[in-house]
Amino acid sequence: MARFNYRIITVLLLITFVFSACAPSTPSTPVVSATSVAPTAEQASGTIVIALAAAPVSLDPADHRSRESETVIRNMFDGLVTRDATNGVHLELAESMDWADEQTLNIELREGVKFHDGTEMTADDVVFTFERIINENQIEYPEAHTSPRKGLIAPLESIEKTGDYSVTMHFSGPWPPAMQLLVHQQIVPKAYIEEVGTEGFIAKPIGTGPFRFVSAQPGFEEVVLERFEDYYGGSPELTPVGKACAGQVVFRVIPEASTRVSALLAGEVDIITNVPQDLIETLSANENVQVKTAAGTQPKWIELNVNMAPFDDVNVRKALNYAVDKDLIIEQIYGGRAVALPGPLSPYNSFVNKSLSPYPYDTDMALDLLSQAGWADTDGDSILDKDGQPFAMTIDTLEEWRSLAEAVADMYRAIGIDANVRFWEYSVVRDQLLAGERQAYLDDWGDSAFDPVGHFEAKWHGFVADTPFGRGNFSTYNNERVNELIEQGETTGDTAARQAIYDEAQQIVYDEAPAVFLILPEEVEAASASITNWTPASDSRENMHDVCKTE
Amino acid sequence: MRSIKILERVLATIPIMFGVAIIVFFFIRLTPGDPVDIMMGQGGAISAGELDRLREEFHLNEPLHIQLWYFLRDAARGDLGYSYVLKQPVTSLIAERLPATIELAVGALLFSLVIALPIGVISAVRQNSWLDRLSMSTAFLGISMPGFWLGIILILLFSVQLRWLPVQGRISLGTGFQERTGYFVLDSLLTGNFAALKSSLLHLVLPSITLGAPVAAVIARVLRSSMLETLRSDYVTLARSKGVAESWVVIKHALRNAMIPTITVVGLQVGILLGGNMVIETVFGWPGLGRMVVKAIFDRDFPLIQGTVMIYAFTFVMANLIVDVLYTYLNPRIRMQ
Repeated sequence: MARFNYRIITVLLLITFVFSACAPSTPSTPVVSATSVAPTAEQASGTIVIALAAAPVSLDPADHRSRESETVIRNMFDGLVTRDATNGVHLELAESMDWADEQTLNIELREGVKFHDGTEMTADDVVFTFERIINENQIEYPEAHTSPRKGLIAPLESIEKTGDYSVTMHFSGPWPPAMQLLVHQQIVPKAYIEEVGTEGFIAKPIGTGPFRFVSAQPGFEEVVLERFEDYYGGSPELTPVGKACAGQVVFRVIPEASTRVSALLAGEVDIITNVPQDLIETLSANENVQVKTAAGTQPKWIELNVNMAPFDDVNVRKALNYAVDKDLIIEQIYGGRAVALPGPLSPYNSFVNKSLSPYPYDTDMALDLLSQAGWADTDGDSILDKDGQPFAMTIDTLEEWRSLAEAVADMYRAIGIDANVRFWEYSVVRDQLLAGERQAYLDDWGDSAFDPVGHFEAKWHGFVADTPFGRGNFSTYNNERVNELIEQGETTGDTAARQAIYDEAQQIVYDEAPAVFLILPEEVEAASASITNWTPASDSRENMHDVCKTE
Repeated sequence: MRSIKILERVLATIPIMFGVAIIVFFFIRLTPGDPVDIMMGQGGAISAGELDRLREEFHLNEPLHIQLWYFLRDAARGDLGYSYVLKQPVTSLIAERLPATIELAVGALLFSLVIALPIGVISAVRQNSWLDRLSMSTAFLGISMPGFWLGIILILLFSVQLRWLPVQGRISLGTGFQERTGYFVLDSLLTGNFAALKSSLLHLVLPSITLGAPVAAVIARVLRSSMLETLRSDYVTLARSKGVAESWVVIKHALRNAMIPTITVVGLQVGILLGGNMVIETVFGWPGLGRMVVKAIFDRDFPLIQGTVMIYAFTFVMANLIVDVLYTYLNPRIRMQ
């Protein structure tokens, strides 16, 4: 045994000495070889590498609720309709779509479209796709469950095949945002999924999109796709029509923003998403990099608890709107890459009230409104007070909106409000917000369908448990007329009538100011200069069909 | 006798793991936040009853003790449930990610030993020399430097400026790499693919240095102080007075005894290397367990958090066990007891 001990020590020492002898050369040894391996191999064959900030959760179009999943999926799978880089909806796999009445949609499918395994897409696949989503427990792996995307198409009651290339959808009532929301459902192959099951389908997904699946790392940390040579060409309305330009597309997850930027600068990736505001200037200054923006879909506001003093007074709420210099914030924090919110809807929403304009920056007006509400600095300490109590407020928010929240708090302090900022994790603060326990909350609410549905009813309708109404209503705002208008808006098919309904609702919310309407930042992405035909999309999707790389 | 002791220690891990399982089970459920709400996100509508159906599917509508019973019953059969978000069995998710984490931990451990052993020994032998002072202040820096910061600096220097090493990931595209075991270096060797081997080793360099730097600092400091102690002990003086060569005194008499506290520290550090690499994995886009569990915590993905934390606990327990076993080889007195 004693000999064994010696052996361990000797081996340990040997390792130590061998490595320490090498130690001085460790930094230089890989140097020579590295240049020949890392960056060049990736640029060899028209391969475009896209860095995502988070991993997709699934490559099954029916089994996720994440934007990253949809980004990758929509390059492999086409839908009946698609969206361009802004908010226009265009026919993709559907050749025509006609409303027979407000609840019945007749769809003619494009003929000759092939799945990646060479089989033709027919009405059976479309019926199967939607039934897999709307019927319960259709996804059998790993345990039987219902598609989490059912809610995105909730009014769809049934779908029937009316011919080899035609189907009819039946809705429970008029559903105005149908076209915008159908963009988010992609067609899957019936025969293939029935043969290999969901487990086999996730392992090797097959769609009708411009790229076919090659391989994926565990957890979808890297997904490799290659051009599908038999692609039908995509939506005829979105040129160029035809096969994809790039031979190969790789989606790679790089969660840390500064690493994403470094990878782009080092030439390891070609396109990066979610560029942080503070690195935009660095990237813009580099001639090998192009920075582009798309209209944002995440409007930011501070919801004020309308049932908690002092925000139960509309004058106070309006005063806080007047006290924010949104232009300064846009210029200083966002480098000009944001717009001021004109009211409760994003300016890019299809139903925004065009007669509304952002609350102007007017501290005199703010102080005037506050004094009407009884707030004045009576003791000369530069803090407004009322009945002997100073005006103190806490803006609750998430770490990612730190600079925005601190800037606003500073502007409030300038007019005599003792404002401070507190940071939370969303899942922790959410229940307290819905219970009306917080005073003021700064955050956003996604609007990627550019329609009030999915957005307006969540924020400005009174909270009703277990329904979509008010599920994101953190101001506890509850106006009966607004509630009524929202419910009407969701079932009115006529566009002009719908616009009138939402115009009135927006005007009321604007006037009652249950929130400080702040800004809408643009989505910022960057790519290497060798990338052409690339346009970041508002819904954060990376549509790679038209994107090319010049060697 | 020794194997019985080892067996006893292995069996003792069972109640420890059971305790960990129960504590983790309750702690994550006491954290505010509803997994179903988080999963459904903001966008789009949610049909009435959809949330309830999901809660039912995940058994979240049942009382806690029933949920615990389901968990323990399944865990006893080796089934850790399936991830709410990723919709895959927790065991296979862990199995997929573990090799990346282990490979990085091994890289970091090798780096730290290669750096720390010579520095520790030389600093002790040449106590108070400029070399000693330099290496100990570097070690101090190594402990104090946040991994996040060090990682970014290394990337900026070696990847962006000098372009010597890759920024992130485990391997470059286009090497023809074929995965067998999930350990990329090993797989490249097994398939005889030297381009892949070179690429996977290069990808290991920066994350290993970042993760290994604080560990190297700790080991070097511990080794130095225990070497100083042994170098002053009687048996070392005796060996010297017998005329044994100084190098032999240092290696055979001093280092061997100084290794005992050092190995304890290394054992603890192995647990930290495997379980404390969330930040490094994020900075270097390294697809390991750490990043998966951080995301799982934000998603309140209970089964996945539970499974991963149990793997971490198991690693710590095992690392300590191995250290104990190693002791008996290094120090006969411990073996006798």
